[in-house]
This record gives sequence, C-alpha cells and structure tokens, in this order.
Amino acid sequence: MARKIADWIGRLGEVWVEGQVAQLSRRGGAATVFLTLRDPAADLSVPVTCHRDVAERPGLELTEGARVIVRARPDYYVARGSFSLRATEIRAVGLGELLARIERIRRLLAAEGLFDAARKRPLPFAPAVVGVITGRDSAAERDVLVTARRRWPAVRFAMHNCAVQGPQAAANVMEGLRRLDADPAVEVIVIARGGGSVEDLLPFSDEGLVRAIAATRTPVVTAVGHETDTTLVDHVADVRAATPTDAAHRVVPEIGEQRRLVDGLRSRARQVLTGRLEQQERWLESMRTRPVLASPDRLLHGREEDVLSLRTRARRTLVHRVEGAERDLEHARARVAALSPAATLDRGYAVVQKADGSLVRDPSAVADGELLRVRVAGGRLPVRVDRSANGEDERRESTGG
Amino acid sequence: MSTPANAEPTTTYEQAREELADVVRRLEAGGLTLEDSLSLWERGEELATLCQHWLDRARERLAAAAPGDQPE
Repeated sequence: MARKIADWIGRLGEVWVEGQVAQLSRRGGAATVFLTLRDPAADLSVPVTCHRDVAERPGLELTEGARVIVRARPDYYVARGSFSLRATEIRAVGLGELLARIERIRRLLAAEGLFDAARKRPLPFAPAVVGVITGRDSAAERDVLVTARRRWPAVRFAMHNCAVQGPQAAANVMEGLRRLDADPAVEVIVIARGGGSVEDLLPFSDEGLVRAIAATRTPVVTAVGHETDTTLVDHVADVRAATPTDAAHRVVPEIGEQRRLVDGLRSRARQVLTGRLEQQERWLESMRTRPVLASPDRLLHGREEDVLSLRTRARRTLVHRVEGAERDLEHARARVAALSPAATLDRGYAVVQKADGSLVRDPSAVADGELLRVRVAGGRLPVRVDRSANGEDERRESTGG
Repeated sequence: MSTPANAEPTTTYEQAREELADVVRRLEAGGLTLEDSLSLWERGEELATLCQHWLDRARERLAAAAPGDQPE
C-alpha cells in the first residue's frame, strides 16, 4: 500500500512553495540537508530535504527565519512512511520580492473589500477595558499604557504580550487577537509595535493576521512601525494610529478636557435657565407697576372725583334754583305790594265799593242815597250818597288805566 | 382656579401669566363697572402672587440643583 502511495505522490509533479525556514540541520558532510518550511499564516509546516548543493547555492544565505521560495517535488519516503518535499531549487525572497508579495496580498484583500471604509467601526468613547497586544516591556507597550492612564485614569488593560517579530509573530498576534476578541469586557484592541525593517514588520502584513483582524467583533487600532511604514494591518484596522502614543489618544478621552466640556455644557444650561427666569421676573415686575394694578385707588379716585363733581353741580343748580325762586318771590311780593291798596290807603286814599262789591270809579255810576262801603287804611265804613247839599259831582278826564 | 394656600397651586405659570396679561388689558381698556374693576383688580393681584410663587420656586430649584457653583 505504501508503494501505491509513493507512486501516487510521485505523479504529483513539481510545485513552488513559499515559506519561512523554521529549522535547518546540516549534518556534517552529509549530502542531504534537512529543513522545515513554515507557513506562518496557515500555521503549517512541512519537512523539506534537498541536496547540499541546493542548500549552499552561492548568494543564498539559508538561515533560520529566512523567507524562501522552494521548487520541490512531493516525496513519500516508503521506508519511514513520511511525506516530505524534495527541493531542487531554493531562492531567498528579496525585499523587492517581499514588497511585491505584500502588494499582491493587499490587492487581493482589497478586492475582497476587507479594507472598505464602510467596514470601519467607530471606537467606543471611554472603554473600561482596552486590550493591548504588544511586545513584553517594549517601548510601544509603555507608551500606550502610560499615555492612556494619564488621559483616563479609570481605564483598565487586558494585556497580551508576545513576540512581535520573527516567524511566530503573526501567529502570536492572531492568538492574542482571538483571546481578547472573545473577552466581552474588552471594548477595543490596540496592536502596537515600534519601528523596524520591512522584514521585521512583515508579520503585520500577513494575510492570515489581516483576515483575523477583519473578522474580530471588537474594534482594532493598529500602531505598527514608524508613521512612514504601512503594513497591511493598518489598512484593515478600524483606526490606524501613527504611534503607540497616538493610539492611546485615539482610544481614551482626556479626562481634564472632558470635565471642562461637561462643565461648559452645565453652565450654558444654567445660563439659559437664569436668563429665562430673569426675563420672566422683569415681565412680572412690569405688570405689577402698571397703574391699573399698582394704584387701584386711581380707579376709585376717578369715581370719587366724578361723584364730587356731580354733587357740586347738583348743589350749584339747586342753589340757583332756590335763589331764582327767592327772587321770584320777591318780585311777586313787590308786585303784590305794589298792587295791593294797603299802601294807597295808608297814603289817605280810600276804596269805595258798591253793595255788590264792585269798585266805584265814576260818580255817575252811583245813585243818590245809594249805600256804599268805604275802605280806608284803618278799616271800612258804610256811607250814603247825598247830592242835596251843595256837593257837585266832579268828573275827571279819564287817564289811561 | 385658585386653590387653598397650602396645596401646590394647580394653575401653571403660563396660565397665570396669560390671565394676568388679559386682566391688565381689560382694566386698562376701562369702561367697567366699579364692582367689575374691583374684582378684576383683586384677580390681578392674586395672579401676580401666583406668578411670583412659581418664579420663586424655580429660583429655589435652580439654587438647590447646584448650590456649589451658584454663579455670583
């Protein structure tokens, strides 16, 4: 059966495999060199064997950690039943090659939309727990922790320290990512690393790591390398911070600033209230000083004056009337006095009346011997007419009445 | 509308203010009987007191809210 497997594998043909040299063993003068090739992204490794010449080709510095591309044929070593790749050519992956590879991955992931702005999640305002993935006791770690604590003393951290360089770096960071992302208390994750060469930062362009970041539930902030360096994690992160310190600024607010902000809002609210209150008090004051309210007696005044003026007018008309009446009386009395014979009688005149009371104005109206009544001032007396003696009637020319 | 002194008046500040403004308008317009002007004037006083009550209460609540930084 082993032979069948060997035949079947034998037919697979040649393949190019790219990976990182994890282990390398050259036993003395042995013709064959054994090494293990690791794919950090997929966390896979495969044994590779090759002839000494292939491994020691001039210009190729085959060392542990080196990234290489191997042309090999799958091989099944029947005796031990072990699978391995029989390498016929090994080439180091150069810087240009590296950058080109990163660019290819970038385009691939970009095409999948992993870097779309729409995917970027907003950071929580003041996270209680900040997850931090960084090298143990690294400058990056100190910058993030110190800065964040100064800005927001209440912040707590969930640390994941690991190697942030070398073949294991990407896997370590992914492990940290999984752990912190699973922790519901962690509201944001910061991946921080100081500067380094393209090779040093290579793990942070690892396709597996980028996909892992894209898949997290928790927002991720990256602060990898110098501001000028760009690694693929920067593209997929929710926020790309220029430096670890900047990352701290992005994830936690500055407490003093927040306090000033809150105080500012509080005093503005208070001002609105007091302003409105004062305005209403002024209005009430204006109402109260209006004459109709302030001096209601004015109402009464008005009416009292009316009453007063009415009364005086009434009195005045009354007085006039009375005076008028008195005057009339006077006149009447005067006239009566003037018309009444009393005064005439007083002056010695007498009033002669016939028996029937009519006044005698003309001697001819009286017959001889007729009985008359004479009224003088002191009273009345009867008289008889006697024309016998030498009395002669004397007529007087009539004068107007 | 007015309520016994101790209970919290049910008339809101805005209601009292509206009515007070109306009372003043009618008093100033004049042409009222003596009795009407008097009772209207009394109503005006009552409403003014009510408004004052609400404004004082508001001041108290504002002061109580943050006695510490009461702006001078």
